[in-house]
Amino acid sequence: MKQTLFRKVLFIFMFFSSLAIFAQENLTGTVVDNQGIPLPGVSIVVKGTTTGTQTDFDGKFQLEVNALPVVLVFSSLGYETKEQQISNNSPINIALAESATGLDEVVVTGLATSIKRKNAANAVATVSSAELAEVTPPQTLDGALSGKVVGTLINSNSGSPGGGFSVRLRGLTSIFGNNQPLYIVDGVYISNISVASSGLNTVSAAAGGGNPSSQDNATNRIADINPNDIANIEILKGASAAAIYGSRGAAGVIIITTKKGKQGKTKVNVSQSLGYNEIINPQGVRNFTEATFDPVDDAADLAAFIAARDAGRLIDYEDVIFGNKGFISNTNVSISGGGEKTSFFAGLSRETENGIVRNTGIDRSNIRLNIDHRFNDNIKVSLSGNYINSSADRGFFNNDNSGTTIGVALTATRPFDDLFPDANGNFPDHPNNSSNPLQTIELFTNNERVNRFIIGGNIEATLFRTDRQNLRFVGRAGTDFFSQVATVIFPQELQFQRLDQGGVNGVSAVTTTNNRNSNYAGFLVHNYTTENNLSFTTQAGLTNEQFSQNTVGVVTTDLIGSQTNVDQGANVSTNQFRLLQEDFGFFAQEEFNYQDKILATIGIRGDKSTNNGDANEFFYYPKGSAAVNLHNFDFWNDNSFVNRFKPRVAYGEAGTFAVFGSLFTLLNSSLIDGNVGVVVPGTQGNPSIQPERNKELEIGFDAGFFNDKLSLTFTYYNKEAEDFLITAQVPGSSGFVAQQQNGGDFENRGIEISLGANVLDTEDFSWDATFNWFRNRSEVTRLNVPTFNLGGFGNSLGQFQIEEGRSVTQIVGTTGPGTPVSVLGDTEPDFQLTWQNNFRYKDFTLSFLWHWKQGGDNINLTQLLSDFGGTSADFDDFDFDPNINNGTFRINNGLFAGNAAPFVEDASYLRLREVGLKYSIPNSLLESWFGNIVSDVNIGVSGRNLINIFDYNSYDPEVSNFGGNGLSQGVEVTPFPSSKRLLFTLSAQF
Amino acid sequence: MILGVLLFSSCDLEDADSLNGLSTDAISSNLSRAELPQAISGILSDMRVGLATQIDVQSIFGREYYFFTGSDPRFEADVVTANLDNNTFYTTTPWNARYATIRNINLALQGLTNTTADFSNQEIAAIRGVLNTLLAHELLMVNNNQFSNGIRIDVADPDNLGPFVNETEALTEIFSLLEAGATDLAAAGDSFPFPLSSGYDGFDTPAGFLQFNRGLTARVEAYRGNYPNVITLLNNSFMDMGGDLRTGVYHTFSLTGADLPNPLFIALNQTASVRVSHPSFTDDAEAGDTRLDKVVLRNMPITFSELTGTHDVFIYQSNVDNVPIMRNEELILLFAEANMATNGTAAIDAINVIRNAAGLANYTGGTSAQELEDEILFQRRYSLFGESHRWVDVRRFNRLNELPNDRTTDNVPEAVPVPFNENQ
Repeated sequence: MKQTLFRKVLFIFMFFSSLAIFAQENLTGTVVDNQGIPLPGVSIVVKGTTTGTQTDFDGKFQLEVNALPVVLVFSSLGYETKEQQISNNSPINIALAESATGLDEVVVTGLATSIKRKNAANAVATVSSAELAEVTPPQTLDGALSGKVVGTLINSNSGSPGGGFSVRLRGLTSIFGNNQPLYIVDGVYISNISVASSGLNTVSAAAGGGNPSSQDNATNRIADINPNDIANIEILKGASAAAIYGSRGAAGVIIITTKKGKQGKTKVNVSQSLGYNEIINPQGVRNFTEATFDPVDDAADLAAFIAARDAGRLIDYEDVIFGNKGFISNTNVSISGGGEKTSFFAGLSRETENGIVRNTGIDRSNIRLNIDHRFNDNIKVSLSGNYINSSADRGFFNNDNSGTTIGVALTATRPFDDLFPDANGNFPDHPNNSSNPLQTIELFTNNERVNRFIIGGNIEATLFRTDRQNLRFVGRAGTDFFSQVATVIFPQELQFQRLDQGGVNGVSAVTTTNNRNSNYAGFLVHNYTTENNLSFTTQAGLTNEQFSQNTVGVVTTDLIGSQTNVDQGANVSTNQFRLLQEDFGFFAQEEFNYQDKILATIGIRGDKSTNNGDANEFFYYPKGSAAVNLHNFDFWNDNSFVNRFKPRVAYGEAGTFAVFGSLFTLLNSSLIDGNVGVVVPGTQGNPSIQPERNKELEIGFDAGFFNDKLSLTFTYYNKEAEDFLITAQVPGSSGFVAQQQNGGDFENRGIEISLGANVLDTEDFSWDATFNWFRNRSEVTRLNVPTFNLGGFGNSLGQFQIEEGRSVTQIVGTTGPGTPVSVLGDTEPDFQLTWQNNFRYKDFTLSFLWHWKQGGDNINLTQLLSDFGGTSADFDDFDFDPNINNGTFRINNGLFAGNAAPFVEDASYLRLREVGLKYSIPNSLLESWFGNIVSDVNIGVSGRNLINIFDYNSYDPEVSNFGGNGLSQGVEVTPFPSSKRLLFTLSAQF
Repeated sequence: MILGVLLFSSCDLEDADSLNGLSTDAISSNLSRAELPQAISGILSDMRVGLATQIDVQSIFGREYYFFTGSDPRFEADVVTANLDNNTFYTTTPWNARYATIRNINLALQGLTNTTADFSNQEIAAIRGVLNTLLAHELLMVNNNQFSNGIRIDVADPDNLGPFVNETEALTEIFSLLEAGATDLAAAGDSFPFPLSSGYDGFDTPAGFLQFNRGLTARVEAYRGNYPNVITLLNNSFMDMGGDLRTGVYHTFSLTGADLPNPLFIALNQTASVRVSHPSFTDDAEAGDTRLDKVVLRNMPITFSELTGTHDVFIYQSNVDNVPIMRNEELILLFAEANMATNGTAAIDAINVIRNAAGLANYTGGTSAQELEDEILFQRRYSLFGESHRWVDVRRFNRLNELPNDRTTDNVPEAVPVPFNENQ
């Protein structure tokens, strides 16, 4: 290393002022694509050197070389790289073929460098814009990734409009810490927090104390990013690839690059989708008959039933509440183009979607402007700006302890209950519940409104360049700022708000959040290539990230008339949460490439943060990887049916910070009789808390068969979380319920197999298919604290248990009175299999994506509540016992017997995630109709989740009462049901 | 690189501050005069947390009422069938809430030891007297639930908790705490250096608070069967045979800001979330007992999983009504109990105070200790309905098997299990 460095320094001095002195031969030429259209921006490099240039607007280039012959390497994103031997200086004409395998696309390996996929030592997943958003218009970015990335488990928390997803890359990263990957858009660290709205829990009492809770099902804010603006997504799934992100990289990193303008004609793309959504799996209604009722005990209900039946007024309330077909409109306009120096991309989109429940929906507008500018050959800058304005009406669902959420109310609603308003709009009280769900839907508000700016800038300057080496400076800065205002209004005329019903005469709440992420980074990158084609890429840099959040919630009860301002009421309570955190890190990495045959990387990241006990203690995260392109060696038989084989191994470490504020035991404030007081919190702080460390080893190979007609990627990983952070349950007699601790170790082991096939490729017909198969297993390998439970509603209903030697995500519960807890299930799927297909026949394209998740259990409490409310559709069937109906059986055998087993259900599914059929009107036809004005007109019909096969007794096995972060996924309590979408799309280019 | 090195060395991060609240150390390391009222108010406020779960569960155990709620069926299942889990809310909520209050008290006691504020000796005695009395009360609440399973007394150091002690030992420790509190209160001067809530009106001086302390001590001594001492203690308490039976010490509630509403209030004739008296409450009552106004006949009976109620529990008529901690009525009944074996006349006189107040004629039954015990338990059942006494009462007289079970699956437990997280 020292020698290398010395030599580099020498080169710097030797060549700094002598650029291009030796140039002797002047080469010129043109690069075109298969159809003869000139390709601008193609990179041309003299092989084995860093001498090079780019094609201009017309695909033309000019290059001076020392001597002939030389080998020129032509490369451009999306095209196969081509090498050409040049022995004279006559004009060169080169045609590049479009890349089919993605082997030439670049993947990031450092904070400021990237390499071609075929040389990567990690299994970095990429999703292109075509895969992401072109089959069917997605609702949110994270939802659009579902089923497309090997090794991920993406789960929709509810069907509420506006999103709410959790993304787990290679199993659980952390039990209590952050589990969600870091999102980086054009170099800007994007916030993906969910801010629960004040006021909901005040009414639902789902979590004790009335404070906002994860059960309120807030949107996670990555939903703001418009999938249509995205050019490419790279997913670093674990520490071995993400070590360069240090303390924020353990849960993986999703690197998003948005679209950029290209030199050439200014293009305007317009697309409009219209469609609707509807409930996937309605549960049906119990078939009430006179025999359902006990003539003595249920006399009043019996009379009500007979009256309703005779009047033909038996209502399917599930259909009334969830039967809405929500209208969807998705408009996208983009303008892109550029000249020799400057190119731009401008995107404009508006998305409106109504939910399957009346008065729910989302309205989101998005403006983007990306500008790239080259000052000269040595300096280029890019700027990206994004403004988002969104408004989501989320409904009122999930767990409650007051009978007020729409979901819980429905479980108590019988077809003969009369809930409809009179002619003046007055709703009757629910005869069997504390809230009338129709009234709640009509009158209540749960709105999240967001204004968000994301601005990033990037500068790249070549400090010097010679034949064999160059030195670049890369500087990057970005800010993501959003302000979210959540409004929750329960007007005083709601049944459960009326004073005579024990209500508090109306609740109005406003929660305002200002959140800012800023990040700055600067790197130096040095490339050096020796004469025998061994290249070194050295980079070193500094990063600084700042995070701040300020959430203020105000809840007012006892409202004045229909006023909703928070000062228009008798009782006002407030809460505030602040977060301020600064991280500082450095990063150094060395990459070796010997003739594209042997590739190796070593690197280290050092991080310190105000979130640690000692803010100036550095935590170091090393990484190293190696890959061998066996097929590039001379001994490889070029005629072998295996045309490409690359074994690879990678190791890396990354961290996860403790939850902000873990260091402190902070007193809460209380009030009694007008006297303010201080009380201990449930969670005890821990001044010696440390980040948890994830160590990941990944080994695998990439292979191509029959000239890459068939490609196979195999990866095995072992991802170990060391000193994982837990909110350990401590003996309640300490006065605390929990404490932040470094609790032990657990590991995830998994296998990812990806098989791509270019089955057919003729002029009229082509068929590409990709199979992804992956599985993950976890185990707690060391536990410093006693076995503990979390994330559920107790042993008699099933909950999670962290136990040494067992799966992290196991579900336990009792199976009878006084029985010890036993394992009842596990949320980890046995495996997942996705099958993506693209067929093209002449001008028709058919794409579909099947997603099979096998195994993985949920805790389903929706059916329990339906049984308990006597409304389950199959209540009167006799599936379990010929003498006892299902509803009674399930209650007696489950709840009353202290048996949690019936609530733990297999959450397997097979679903047609996406399907799209598209017809492209031939350009020749368009030309005859419109001249040269219009091109690329596509007409399509597409859908999401159109076919869903599962044997799960509720709306959808994809669900989470407790939101996205943390361990407790797959717990279901009367959620907003999920929906399927059908859309018609028309797009054109001008 | 020079730029980098400069940047690098200038990037010293400052240790983070606790942005979102006062650290607990602030109280325990040095209790200031300004923090004192906030610490006391915090304790009084925290004593109410988990109260509804504690009272509901004990009232269901004692077959005083049922709590039907569509949102959590375990009130009709586990709690009524006595299939009690050691890690479910009915076990953990009261335990955690009481010990959280105890942590608050211990923080204040530690802060008092370490204080550099200019508290006089009388003021220190006053603060310590109140804190120890409240500490004893909270421990007693835990002990009532846990009974034979034992509790921890020494929890001053959260990282080094003391052992579990059995019920007898626990009561002895609680008794000593109350005695220590009484000694302090007697030496505490004429006024407190902090305000109490209006629930302590009449008891908000050292002398007044001492009367509450003596009443509480009398309850503990009655639980221990030390009846002669009960009589002495009651005479130093606020027991008043001619006074308002409701005089006493209360939890207060309001809807203001972070204050709590009365969690035991439910409007009449609700359908989803209701507390209905056990049928035996109205069936067994003597005709004309005005204490039956604690329940109100529903428009329609309500049945949940084969349990039926005809009357709503309506002890609290609004969501800001006070909830008693100790009332004169209980003290008079304790006086009757302490005398039943040794001074039947005194016992019957006390019983008659209660009966007459309830609109009933004087007691005419037998005067044997056993018969008086029956009568006193009967009166306690109606006088202290829904105040967490009956289950404890029938248990200490070994009469748990007299409580009714309406379904074949139902049972009355003797004690609540030790929470799972105690790692016992």
